[in-house]
Amino acid sequence: MQYLGALLPRITRLQALVIGLAVTPLLLGGAGVIALLLFLMASGGTVTGAPEQPIAFDHSVHAGEAAIPCQFCHRGVVTEASATIPSVQQCMFCHGVVATDRPQIQLLQAHWETNTPVDWTRVHRVPDHVRFVHAPHIQAGLDCATCHGDVASMSEVRQVRSLSMGDCQGCHRENSASLDCATCHK
Amino acid sequence: MSSAHEASARATAVATLGETIPTDAEVTPLDGRRWGMVIDLDRCTGCQACVVACQAENNIAINEENRVLERRAKTWIRIERYWEGEFPNAKARFIPVLCQHCGNAPCETVCPVWATYHNPEGLNVQVYNRCIGTRFCANGCPYSVRYFNFWNPEWPEPLNNQLNPDVTVRTKGIIEKCTFCLQRINRARVTSKNEDREIADGEVQPACVQSCPTTALVFGDLNDPSTTASRLAESERRYTLLENFGTDPSVVYLKKVDPHVEIDHHHGHHAETAGKHA
Repeated sequence: MQYLGALLPRITRLQALVIGLAVTPLLLGGAGVIALLLFLMASGGTVTGAPEQPIAFDHSVHAGEAAIPCQFCHRGVVTEASATIPSVQQCMFCHGVVATDRPQIQLLQAHWETNTPVDWTRVHRVPDHVRFVHAPHIQAGLDCATCHGDVASMSEVRQVRSLSMGDCQGCHRENSASLDCATCHK
Repeated sequence: MSSAHEASARATAVATLGETIPTDAEVTPLDGRRWGMVIDLDRCTGCQACVVACQAENNIAINEENRVLERRAKTWIRIERYWEGEFPNAKARFIPVLCQHCGNAPCETVCPVWATYHNPEGLNVQVYNRCIGTRFCANGCPYSVRYFNFWNPEWPEPLNNQLNPDVTVRTKGIIEKCTFCLQRINRARVTSKNEDREIADGEVQPACVQSCPTTALVFGDLNDPSTTASRLAESERRYTLLENFGTDPSVVYLKKVDPHVEIDHHHGHHAETAGKHA
């Protein structure tokens, strides 16, 4: 309670104790809130829950039970920047005949018949000043699950890593990949 | 950027953030390349194709008349025009001026937040999300090729639909400048790595180089003696802009100086005196 004595020279010891007991939790609470805000700022990207999709596509059925390789649908991933979302036509290669009686598949077939794309909700997004290119990561032998988590067991895909700059850099440092800003920032 | 300044900055950074800051040795050097450009002024016709190509490639907002009058127009590459002689016998001379990607860049040492730095391939890189808009770099640049965003850029319909997705749209309050079309360099790096080969000479062409109708602009690795650019850079016609500043530019200009041309001694004398006063 030294600081109170300095601020208010004529205060008694009891008064100082009472004021101290009342004010200290407030100060600690404030510091706690500030620390929490700083932590949230420093932690960068947020890991969000699974967004709702227009069609309840289940990765655990396709990538899990049926064990279809990721590249079968996400065809750009080996050679392009973007892994690419398959077109309705590609879904229809199978779903022209497979499980045509289910309501979710009939939603898909409606898109096929009306010649409209499915408006999927994007799950993973890096900021606009970052250019992430899938190809070199796959070529380097990284598993998709390294960044995307165990998608084969997810009914609804959600982001599992922060994908913040520190997240990328940690991995780049471990694998002696480039740490030059210009490699990722555009 | 070296020695005492860097050491003390690094010590501060380590004290704040712990041992997560990479040293220069840890920042992986990439093959010792030095990207550079050779501009043959004897070929340049001043057509401005490079200027237009650059605006389109790099999402540079349109310079309306009042922006130009306010001297806040942005052109990562510009054509400077000089007149030689008096009216009936006047000749126009052109010098395309872009970021010189100096080996000893005055802009890099003055940035308080390291938003501009020299990368291992000899590029002077501007990291937009670090920039806080002090404009020290633009004041330090003797070539006046750094541009400040006084506004958020806007494009009239339908030009807003032709933005290049590989280039950030820069927001209000930050500095931007020529990148030597970094997005094209990065694309060539990924492609060549996928195909397990080196980047070929001429594979990377910035938009200005690609669009030049007289091939006055040549881009390439100046450290590799086999490239067209490095061979041209050895020409006896070579000079660099403001050579006496010692900035070590990566842009080399070629110009034949005709020894038989009449020198205006009166004006020449004036220029010399002005130089001494400056």
